[in-house]
Amino acid sequence: MTEVGTELPPLTVTLRREDLVRYAGASGDFNPIHWNDRMAAALGLPGVIAHGMLTMASAVRVVTDWIDDPADLVEYGVRFTKPVVVPDDDKGASVTFTAKVDKVADGLAEIDITALAGEEKVLGRARAVVRVR
Amino acid sequence: MTIDATMVGRSYAAAESYQVGREKIREFADAIGDRNPAYRGDDAIAPPTFAFMVGSRALEELLNDEELGLRLDRIVHGAQKFSYTRPIKAGDAIAATATITTVRKAGPVEVIMYETTLTTVDGEPIATATSTLSHNRADA
Repeated sequence: MTEVGTELPPLTVTLRREDLVRYAGASGDFNPIHWNDRMAAALGLPGVIAHGMLTMASAVRVVTDWIDDPADLVEYGVRFTKPVVVPDDDKGASVTFTAKVDKVADGLAEIDITALAGEEKVLGRARAVVRVR
Repeated sequence: MTIDATMVGRSYAAAESYQVGREKIREFADAIGDRNPAYRGDDAIAPPTFAFMVGSRALEELLNDEELGLRLDRIVHGAQKFSYTRPIKAGDAIAATATITTVRKAGPVEVIMYETTLTTVDGEPIATATSTLSHNRADA
């Protein structure tokens, strides 16, 4: 039985330039702001940034790792509030995802996800809805 | 030309259906660092955000509409939402259609929302994606 207030096991991912290149290749999103410092600067960004969709994909793992079957995800949305800047070094950028059950009704649980890169919230209104039994 | 609110309602279908293969699902799962066993093997389903990649075939058509005057290297993704009827799975042949739903202007920045429907080529619903993009026309 899923209860309101349940905290899901947190997850920390490290994104390096290599991960952005790999995601660009796998997803077909070759927007240069995700691999080219010059193009990122031209758009006024502080540096090369992670694909929002890569951060979004990472964040929902907190939920899909927690439910038995990822097929039970019925809704998932985020706002990309702050870019995840990925430096050209071996350390990369770390993002920590936490999640909490906010509501349970009619066989569905609504889960709020928080994504922190350092002190910065990089996702806003990140929310997943899953079927529960 | 530049995009404006009169272009709300324009619809763009992906030129071809997207044939989902289990090795593409595995490659995508590896790229997002996700080891979930549901994304492996003959009965693999795709990770939730795989839907965006399938829908991006329709987004390409939208970006190719010269009347909108949009450039990929001036676009930042603002928000994304998915509603799933069922997961995408290996073997699916998916048709994607993107429809512009909102256009707002703030100086040189255009905020564009569009909705992408994913169905099987036979019309069975799979998922709907709602996307918000910011397009910056400064110095364009």
